[in-house]
Amino acid sequence: MAYENSKKYDRRDLLKAAAGSFIAWHSPAALSLTDLQGSKNSLKPQPKLVWIILRGAMDSLHAVLPLSDPDLMVHRKNLVSPVKNSAFDLGGGFALHPAFKELSYLYKQQQLIPVVATESGAKSRSHFRAQDMLESGLPEADADSGWLNRAVEVYRGDSLAVAHTLPIGLRGKQLAKTWYPDVLRPAQDDLYERLQALYDNDELLSRQLDEGLKNRRLLTGIQKSKNQFSFSSLAGSCATMLAEEDGPDCAMLEIAGWDTHQYQLGRLHGKFKELDEGIAALREKLAGQWDKTVVVVSTEFGRTVVENGTKGTDHGTASAMFIAGGAVAGGRVRGRWPGLAASQLYEGRDLMPTSDTRQWIRAILSQHWNLNSAQLDYVFPSIKTMDAQLIRRPSKSDTAV
Amino acid sequence: MAAAKNNRAIIAVNRFGLGARGNELSDAQLNPEQWLLQQLVSPVFDKSIGDTELAFDTIAKIKEFRDRRRDGELIGQVVSTEIVKPYRRSLLIDSLAISVKTDRPFAIRLLDFFSNHFSVSAPTQSMKILSPILERDAIAPNLFGQFEDLIIAVEQHPAMLVYLNNTKSVGPNSPIGKRTRGLNENLAREILELHTLGVDGGYTLKDIRQLAMAISGWSITNDRDAKPAGFRFRIKGHEPGERNILGKSYPAGGVTQGQAVLRDLARHKKTAQFVSYKLAQHLIADEPPKELVAAMVSTWVKTEGNIKAVVTSLVKHPQSWDSQSKKLKTPREFVVSACRAVSHSKTVDQTLLNVALRGLNLMGQKPFGAGSPAGYSNLNRAWSGSDALMKRIDWVNLLSNKTRQTPQAVAGRIYDSTLSPLTVKLLAGAESRAQGLALLMLSPEFQRR
Repeated sequence: MAYENSKKYDRRDLLKAAAGSFIAWHSPAALSLTDLQGSKNSLKPQPKLVWIILRGAMDSLHAVLPLSDPDLMVHRKNLVSPVKNSAFDLGGGFALHPAFKELSYLYKQQQLIPVVATESGAKSRSHFRAQDMLESGLPEADADSGWLNRAVEVYRGDSLAVAHTLPIGLRGKQLAKTWYPDVLRPAQDDLYERLQALYDNDELLSRQLDEGLKNRRLLTGIQKSKNQFSFSSLAGSCATMLAEEDGPDCAMLEIAGWDTHQYQLGRLHGKFKELDEGIAALREKLAGQWDKTVVVVSTEFGRTVVENGTKGTDHGTASAMFIAGGAVAGGRVRGRWPGLAASQLYEGRDLMPTSDTRQWIRAILSQHWNLNSAQLDYVFPSIKTMDAQLIRRPSKSDTAV
Repeated sequence: MAAAKNNRAIIAVNRFGLGARGNELSDAQLNPEQWLLQQLVSPVFDKSIGDTELAFDTIAKIKEFRDRRRDGELIGQVVSTEIVKPYRRSLLIDSLAISVKTDRPFAIRLLDFFSNHFSVSAPTQSMKILSPILERDAIAPNLFGQFEDLIIAVEQHPAMLVYLNNTKSVGPNSPIGKRTRGLNENLAREILELHTLGVDGGYTLKDIRQLAMAISGWSITNDRDAKPAGFRFRIKGHEPGERNILGKSYPAGGVTQGQAVLRDLARHKKTAQFVSYKLAQHLIADEPPKELVAAMVSTWVKTEGNIKAVVTSLVKHPQSWDSQSKKLKTPREFVVSACRAVSHSKTVDQTLLNVALRGLNLMGQKPFGAGSPAGYSNLNRAWSGSDALMKRIDWVNLLSNKTRQTPQAVAGRIYDSTLSPLTVKLLAGAESRAQGLALLMLSPEFQRR
């Protein structure tokens, strides 16, 4: 716990403050403290919730390929052709990118729901704005209040952010812990590429960067030290902490590097593999807790349907999300498919959103943590409840615990 | 005209300062030159964190600690982790905190310059304790006065006396010298070569010997001496008689003999040239403009080495304001300016300072760690190796993940609208705040000053 939040408040004071402000803000008469805070079962195993945010906007059409859509090959033949034959068939005309080995396994085990054509609620193609929206989950983004924080606040649980500083998603009244390995992490490869562009007019810095990168590649030792910062290693450490006795109820992880404006075939293969291995590490390290775990993977927006001139894609609108875990009632693709015909696209270029990421998360919070509708309205005030059963109904052996 | 004025503020804040913090850029915009000149006031340090007295107490604690361990106590405890590291760390962090918080960044830059000019560093425990004190107790109070007062304070400070082995240097004909020991030329040599005239200053081996004799007996207090702890002139170790240095004779006079030599050295034309050139080289360009240096030297000679006047002549010289940024930031300037860029409130986050200190170690500019009395290099090439840049990238990557400010907000605050179109474009295209901030801090604009 290298960067644990240094402030320590009395838990009860916090809950009082939280409840007070909520009641004032919501409907004063109708709610009492117990309504709001629910009751958390103190027995193990606990329902765990892990949220992985993909920063930079994942190209959903490359992750969950709508192979039966006739327009797919029209828009992005060069991106689809190399992967379509080895993609994992999900049924219903969809297929998972071949790098998703763990996700394919989970799908077969009915522990994965890919949701297509989701949006984050941001009507913006700005990364920052859209990430703020996705993390805040409010109708107007509030950088001091994240949806996962509000959820864990009313659930009366504990939370963990695998990050140096608290991301918006976990900011709020519940005091989240943050954790990150206390050694310098090598930068994302993407940063080096952008620096090469940045140094275009600066001969000295440009030459230094090229030499530096060349030297680093020669030193295989560097690669080894990179391991502890790999997403799978971070996810594994996160899972170990979650699985501890009295471990946090939820955690937030982030992976950057999804902004694939160029050469996305190779880059996304690497990113998908990274994400996939991270989820495998979560399953491995959560061990017995995996059965009660839900992992939500989402991104700020999608990417253009048509590939651009640099073998990549630009900022778009709808993307996809993944809901995975032993507690998930999976095995099918969800979300209404809007189609890729020119007339079906959002503003003539993007995948049209047909559902909001927050609707799915709201359903998960309702079914996984048993939050009531007042609590759900506190977490996502502007979002309506949906019917879909996303969480496995408890079997008899579960309820007997 | 507005743009030109704007650029002068950018130059003031970056070339002379430590990068903008909070609203500093708009403060500088009113009158960049005046904004710099009003900063020429000695920085003040909190003595409770460390001063000469406390350093001696800490050294005494080490002795006590070792005695107790010899008696079988304190098993498994080490002097360095128990005593030295916490003490030293709090001083290094304090100095970084002052640099990050200051609203007189130009004064801190000059302090750093002279602290490096009088570099003290050595791996011994007592030097680890003494070295951070030199700039606080000897340099800062004399930073904008006469250079002669500055060098006397420095050469008489325990950190310098211990570092360059003068504490036990005794004249061969002194009472102690006749019984035992003798002269050590180390400090005398470095005073001439590094602190005043410079290596081409025209002195001879004889001058070194004579200066060593003039400052023989310049030592420090020991346990038996009365307080305050610190400099102690030991007459019994002082070489008696007249000295002759650079053709001038200095009559016998105890401690004042050496002081008189230092005063003359401080006013010497060669010293004026050596130090002015080095200062201009540090602030303006590896090869500073001749006219600029000449103006500084002329002020130095006229004022008999008034540092404030010399610095003022540098600030007022048009060639100090060349629109091209010719200097790369040293690691310390880079680290401090990065911390200032993300600090817009009055307080400085402790975590940030820890990250800053780590950055200095990583990038090879440990405070008081040059390992040579010549200090760290003044030249770009010392800080521009390819690995140096990779280390900066690693460090920025760490820092940028510790703050969630938007790169545009930070860029607007510290550069107004002066960033190049290419940098603006790449910042706008960043995939996350952290990446945008990393790109800003690694941009050519931020790397140079």
